[in-house]
Amino acid sequence: MKPAVSAWETHAMRIVGIRPEIDGVATYDLAFTEQAGGDAYQFRPGQFNMLYLPGVGESAISLCGDCRAPDVWKHTVRVAGRVTQTLAGMPLGSQLGVRGPFGTGWPIDQWQGMDVVLVAGGIGLPPLRPAIYELLQRRDEFGCLTLIYGARGPRSLLYTAEFPTWQSQGLSVLTIVDRASAGWTGNQGVVTSLLERLELPNPATTAVAVCGPEIMIRYTALAAAKRGIVSERVWVSLERNMQCAVGLCGHCQLGPEFICKDGPVLRYDRVRHLLSVEAL
Amino acid sequence: MPTGSTSSHRFLESLPERQRVQLEAIATRRHWPPGALLFQEGHEHENIYLLLCGHVRLDMLVPDRGRTALLTVGPGDLVGWSPLTGAQTMTATAMALEPTQALAFNGTRLRDACTEDHELGYYVMRQIVITLSERLLSTRLQLLDLFRGHEPRASSAPDLC
Amino acid sequence: MSADPIDNAALWLGPKAGLQQVIDALRRTGYTIVGPMVDQAAIVYGEIGGIEQLPRGWTDRQAPGQYRIEQTGRDTYFDYVVGPHSWKKYLFPPRLAVAAVVPLQAGWQFERPRDDPPTYAFLGVRACEIAAIRVQDRVFLEGGYVDAAYQRRRKPAFILAVNCTLAGTNCFCASMNAGPRCTEGFDLALTELENGFVIEIGSERGRSTMADCDVRPATEAERSAGVAARQRATDQQSKRMNTDGLPQLLMANLQHPRWKDVGERCLSCTNCTMVCPTCFCSSVEEVPDLNTGRIERQRQWDSCFHEEFSSLNGRPVRNEIAARYRQWLTHKLSTWHEQFGTSGCVGCGRCITWCPVGIDITEEVAALREPAL
Repeated sequence: MKPAVSAWETHAMRIVGIRPEIDGVATYDLAFTEQAGGDAYQFRPGQFNMLYLPGVGESAISLCGDCRAPDVWKHTVRVAGRVTQTLAGMPLGSQLGVRGPFGTGWPIDQWQGMDVVLVAGGIGLPPLRPAIYELLQRRDEFGCLTLIYGARGPRSLLYTAEFPTWQSQGLSVLTIVDRASAGWTGNQGVVTSLLERLELPNPATTAVAVCGPEIMIRYTALAAAKRGIVSERVWVSLERNMQCAVGLCGHCQLGPEFICKDGPVLRYDRVRHLLSVEAL
Repeated sequence: MPTGSTSSHRFLESLPERQRVQLEAIATRRHWPPGALLFQEGHEHENIYLLLCGHVRLDMLVPDRGRTALLTVGPGDLVGWSPLTGAQTMTATAMALEPTQALAFNGTRLRDACTEDHELGYYVMRQIVITLSERLLSTRLQLLDLFRGHEPRASSAPDLC
Repeated sequence: MSADPIDNAALWLGPKAGLQQVIDALRRTGYTIVGPMVDQAAIVYGEIGGIEQLPRGWTDRQAPGQYRIEQTGRDTYFDYVVGPHSWKKYLFPPRLAVAAVVPLQAGWQFERPRDDPPTYAFLGVRACEIAAIRVQDRVFLEGGYVDAAYQRRRKPAFILAVNCTLAGTNCFCASMNAGPRCTEGFDLALTELENGFVIEIGSERGRSTMADCDVRPATEAERSAGVAARQRATDQQSKRMNTDGLPQLLMANLQHPRWKDVGERCLSCTNCTMVCPTCFCSSVEEVPDLNTGRIERQRQWDSCFHEEFSSLNGRPVRNEIAARYRQWLTHKLSTWHEQFGTSGCVGCGRCITWCPVGIDITEEVAALREPAL
């Protein structure tokens, strides 16, 4: 749906699917309560919606489904505060309000002809998943596609059931955990080590997209730079508390950037100096 | 699953031509099947390894927790550097999780070569420092537990500390 | 500001009581007139029906952290500068319903609340205030999203400006190229002299308002007197801010020791952001009606000085007061340029006056220009 003229215009939507992912995390399928056709569900991978629970408040959640899906919006939500806690208790069929979509998306068109490395940490994978779907949908337009995905432990990995499909469609999936559990024979360590070891046929035409904790973003960008991938070819998805989602309330500012409007996806060269200042 | 193998190794490729040739001359190839130990914690060991392909897990024995996995390493990584420092007792156990191949260097022989040829010594030690600083950064990032709060409440993953 | 364009078409309104005609003309046109008045020992903005409500004979004495008003015994209507209120009180109301939701049988119904603001005529707008309104125009009207509530109030608003004929101790609008002379952005501009007002027309709307008043062309003597009166406002300004290269300088000095220094003095009380005419931060509150179940979403003024204003994963990003002060100052004087193409500061001096500990933004900037040891 194209952004409403009024930033506060709220769509009435219903929860038509709830899929538990890992403890404390679930994916919600949302559909408009009124018939909505055409491009109603369109969005750009990387964008987010404001999920509104009347009387409780709003929460900014990235869209995490296929941007070509004609009938549903998906959001993977981790319980982190009052709004998400309330959402976690809502049954199938419940109604809520949605404002959006808002924000900048992953610059997938700019990656045409390039090798792309997606680096996700923890709950940072959902905002990248729409980009994965889109890249695989348009597979021929890109070179090597790799996902490096780190999580705390094997049981924290999201979307693992989809990995074999993604592999078969041409995305190399590398997972790594901070802490192994008994019987884990996969990688253990941090995503930057995998990026350091990754075969890069041509660093000069490789793009990197990162989503995860800010410190992970910084060191991933550093590792990318050491491999010859300059910050003009690294894109990051940043986070701050959001209220209006349209750059008018001031809450989400990082230096001159309104994360809701100039982001959440920003090219790294634009924010690198901002991320290294304490408490900015 | 780790990435594919390389015929050479980035450690060697980082050295100037002359020193690389010197090292290649004293290297031997080793390989291990899945489940085999490269070396054991608390035991003496002679070699340091540059992994060419495969997947190796490092762990330490914590009495009330059992063997606790620390990290895994793969192609391009250096593992088991203690012999180079002269301390021959290994500080972790390394086990191959997949068929693994490595270039092996006898620690004493490498140390002697570096003592005899200081230029070789400089380049080898410099690259070891770079490698270890990368490992230290990775270890710190692991230690920061950045995804705490992102994981299941009832996690079976053991705490590292 | 050296040029003082003398409007050869300037009018003369005298004696000063004739100002009532202007008010009446505006009211007949349907405007709700708001202007300065004395209330609770300050000169604030409120609804004006007659000139007797204006602060006749009052002046203000301001200093860092100090404000008081006193009687001068002179027959003046505008012999003061700016007080704690700014016109953002009307254009960007402190509390406003932006959305509403009603629980129906079938589920939630989302509504747009009625917004029927009066059509305002702002009486007594100073040059710095015109500049501040134009800054907020960029924020609310010229970005990716237009704030409809601001637009509804701003577009029809009549600006009856007043040229300052004195400067307050904390004024530094000249440094910010925001005054003291009103040059554009008004419908009418008055310069108060001893026996009357020199009036400049700034728009057709202004012209037609004066059509119903007893005015005549101003004489050359009267126009010159106006120039001289306005010059006093420029001459009396004692505070300066050097804005050369300031945006870059601030971003290059985010670790300057001065931040810690000011952080120790600042109480994080948010006074400065409340009185600042360009500050626009807000937050939204859920306000339920327990009888009907209708929930209003009310936007209210917020401040970057609140600890939880900026947070990540539920924790404040700017934990220390020094970090929050740095955010306010670097936003106002530096990143505002990148965001809106202008400075966020108009040199009105309110933040200096209303800071309980008298922090002076011009002093802080001067200190930040000193190389960090």
